[in-house]
Amino acid sequence: MSEAAVRLGRPGWSIRRALGVVVLLAALAAVPGFANNYYLEVLSEAWFYVLLCLGLNIVVGFAGLLDLGYAAFFAVGAYTAGIVTLRLGLSFWLSLPISVVAASIAGVIIGGPTLRLRSDYLAIVTLGFGEMVRISVRNLAVTGGASGLVGIERPTLFGYHLDSIGAYYYVFLLLAVLGVVASHRLENSRIGRAWKYVRSDEDAARAMGINHAMVKLAAYILGAIFAAIGGCFYAAKMTAISPETFTFNQSLLILLGVVLGGRGKIPGVILGALVIVIFPELFRDVGSMRMLVFAISLLLIMLFRPAGIWPEKWR
Amino acid sequence: MKKGVILAAAGLLALGLADAGPARAAEITIGAQVPTSGSEAPYGIDMLNAIRMAAGEINAKGGVLGEKIDILPGDSACDPQAAVNAASKLVSQGVTGVVGGYCSGATLPTLKVYGDAHVPFVITASNSTELIGANPGNAFMINSTGFDQVKTAVNLFKARGIKTLAIINEGDAYSANLAELTRTAWEKLGNKVVDYEVVSKGQQDFSPVVTRIRQRNPDAVFWTAYYADGALLIKQLRQGGYAGMIALGDGNNSPKLFQLAGAAAEGVFCFSNPTANFLPEAKTFIENYQKQFHQPPGPYSALSYDGMMLMAHAITVAGSTDRMKIIAALKQTDNFPGISGPISFTPQNTLARSNFVVLLAKGGQWTLYTGPGAPGAK
Amino acid sequence: MPLYEVLLQQLANGLILGSFYALVALGYSMVYGVIKLLNFAHGDLYMVGAFAGFGVLSLISGWVGGGWGGIVPAILFSMLAVGVLGVIIDRVAYRPLREAPKLSVLITALAVSMLLENVALAFTGGQYTAFTTSLGFAGINLGMVHVTWTQMVLVGTSVVLMVVLELFVSGTRHGKAMRAIAIDQDACRLMGIDVDRTIALTFLIGSALAAAAGVLAGVYYGSINFFMGFLIGLKAFTAAVIGGIGSIPGAMLGGILLGLLEAFGTQIPGVGSEWKDVFVFAFLILFLVFRPTGLLGQPEVERM
Repeated sequence: MSEAAVRLGRPGWSIRRALGVVVLLAALAAVPGFANNYYLEVLSEAWFYVLLCLGLNIVVGFAGLLDLGYAAFFAVGAYTAGIVTLRLGLSFWLSLPISVVAASIAGVIIGGPTLRLRSDYLAIVTLGFGEMVRISVRNLAVTGGASGLVGIERPTLFGYHLDSIGAYYYVFLLLAVLGVVASHRLENSRIGRAWKYVRSDEDAARAMGINHAMVKLAAYILGAIFAAIGGCFYAAKMTAISPETFTFNQSLLILLGVVLGGRGKIPGVILGALVIVIFPELFRDVGSMRMLVFAISLLLIMLFRPAGIWPEKWR
Repeated sequence: MKKGVILAAAGLLALGLADAGPARAAEITIGAQVPTSGSEAPYGIDMLNAIRMAAGEINAKGGVLGEKIDILPGDSACDPQAAVNAASKLVSQGVTGVVGGYCSGATLPTLKVYGDAHVPFVITASNSTELIGANPGNAFMINSTGFDQVKTAVNLFKARGIKTLAIINEGDAYSANLAELTRTAWEKLGNKVVDYEVVSKGQQDFSPVVTRIRQRNPDAVFWTAYYADGALLIKQLRQGGYAGMIALGDGNNSPKLFQLAGAAAEGVFCFSNPTANFLPEAKTFIENYQKQFHQPPGPYSALSYDGMMLMAHAITVAGSTDRMKIIAALKQTDNFPGISGPISFTPQNTLARSNFVVLLAKGGQWTLYTGPGAPGAK
Repeated sequence: MPLYEVLLQQLANGLILGSFYALVALGYSMVYGVIKLLNFAHGDLYMVGAFAGFGVLSLISGWVGGGWGGIVPAILFSMLAVGVLGVIIDRVAYRPLREAPKLSVLITALAVSMLLENVALAFTGGQYTAFTTSLGFAGINLGMVHVTWTQMVLVGTSVVLMVVLELFVSGTRHGKAMRAIAIDQDACRLMGIDVDRTIALTFLIGSALAAAAGVLAGVYYGSINFFMGFLIGLKAFTAAVIGGIGSIPGAMLGGILLGLLEAFGTQIPGVGSEWKDVFVFAFLILFLVFRPTGLLGQPEVERM
């Protein structure tokens, strides 16, 4: 994107670039035509993590705030979908707006107390929040306790029952694309510039009249909404959710994707999400050592690309 | 630059997915869906070892239908998404059947994956009742369910004159369910659960819980999670001066408990499938396992061994590797002689008759308990 | 058991638990203080330390027996070996990223943690290893409260190690250099302080302390495994933050406080133990909101 476009706050589109994107999307849309279910499972998971990483990127990349409890928002979305369909017997589609509201509230709850804190204390507060959410859903009856919620209805869209991995491939691809577009728009919006200002110099930003508290809260809330919407569809795809999915390790994995790819840079974050999903799958044939190989490759990537695979140019 | 990176990413994708080729010819491949990474790896590896051992023994005797069995591990990592990936990969590799299934939460979503591909699946550890409803008909559970275990446990407590109970679990689906079911059944009888504790997985220090238990002084303590942390709890309970009865759930039936808990394990009760030294086959199993892997079998090793043997048996009965025929053969299973007891299935593909027994730790090993409250004893 | 004895016993439990947390938290806090890195691999060094100590003890227990005669050399060797490992990790994984964004180093630390965990998994086949010693269960009784000699030695060792560390950091030239680097690395370079060497020294000491805690835990609990560093790493991190991360007395205080909090947390009437951790974290968050730099941390203006 050209510098001028950034300044104007509008995405700049050259014909070549638009063409490239169209060809890429067409190729990705054609995948279910020839790929087997394993490819589709892995790729769906990859698109899903693209969405999660993009959401966390708003907090970590754009606004420069550390978050070690992002899985909590993912849990909020998944459990909202589960409760809306199973406990309330309502349509799955209702869970989308409800989860957006729930995630916004969660975003305020986690964002509120953290506004005064330095980044490292932010780390423990967000970690604590993530654990509190996980333990709460594990203990509450409405969330099904330790075994979670089972038998979540898969939704129907325009008379088409989303009941195959092929369908979820498209769902998550669409979500990822929407995530990219939304991230892009946010990045180049007024608030996007405010995030980056606060990130690089909070005091200067405040002096310039930016309401840093509102700006930070907005980052948490918007990031949370990405994860919550993803979580709803995750619940629909898996048809069962349990607290063990939303651990501290899950939060770390998503953070890993963001930083590994290059936080703040949308294509970098996409790449990072693909790496965290596809690398462990790549190494499946290594057998029980696969996570060892994964760890070594992560280390190498970070050593050779300290700012991420495809970093943003700042600082 | 941008195109280059996108191309690189696409190349990476292609590379990552290209290796899932079809299964090797002239061999029967069986998938082993167990966690081999993460915190649950110890239990998964216990199961994988046993499945490999069973396949080795079958192959040494000439294989099944004249062909060798090849085991393909699929790491479920105890995570639903990882398990679904593992399962779809096994399916894409053309496995004839799958044995394993640990962590009910991870096993659950794989039922549909195998169901859609009509792959027979013998579940050897997961025993959540949620699995029953979600089973499309191709999965067979050879572990008894939590209900059976609770019945066995409550009978024992009653017969041993226990009035007050403390229940401790680790907050995972398996141990929390067992704890919850026991609490409900116990309170329904008009008895009291004086302490109900949830500890963290991997916790080493139970002293606060031990002190609390000494304060409440229950007649019995029931630990519903697994042996590794259970061994520490037993030790600390005894060192802390608790003298009452200690009972353990079926995740503790491993000789490894004695390595970790030492003398403190003496006199402890454990509910289990009858894997110990009572059947001659079981004895050889433990010896062979020890010889091959230089460690005693884990709590679900014997069941996993049985699962593999059952799968081979079903393939033989089916007379081909036609998956539908194997599923039909599994359904017809009638008193298959497993080392953890005879296996037959209910119409819902669960174990027809609970084989639960009560074990008593004596002299550093598990012995069959036949005193008051033992199953079958009057 | 009468209530006062219960509370006394919980006090003992909390102190013992807390001294483990404190030992591990010290390393966290030191490394953070000097290079502002949350070293997520620190808990895994505790695990490696336990295995190193176990290895030495099983080698030499034939000659010196499984008592303190074997345990002390095991601890010393493990501290040395893991200290060196800590220095190597810093040299290979962290030093090249000294100028990189802090978050990148954090991710590198995660990768190192995963690496150590999975190497240990590969070596042990995931098996829990029994750490057998010949330490008895003798001790002193205060009513129904029983404290063993082993427990007293454990707490004593931790306290001694912490005091030595505090004296080292506050009293020696190297300690002064560490504190100086924490304030301004570039100025230190200009003043002729060998920054990389001092940082390496920090890793040596922090890792050695984690190793000591690991061996002591193995001796005390009698069972070690590849995953044992995860939970305590998390707890030690929490302890370091409560105390004020970067502060050595803070880490000690935070560790002990967390230990006591956990011990007495089980005694809170009317709260099911399944909710205990929720309360601990809620307490922690509220505490940080009102005291954003922890108990003994320095207020600081910073940019990420």
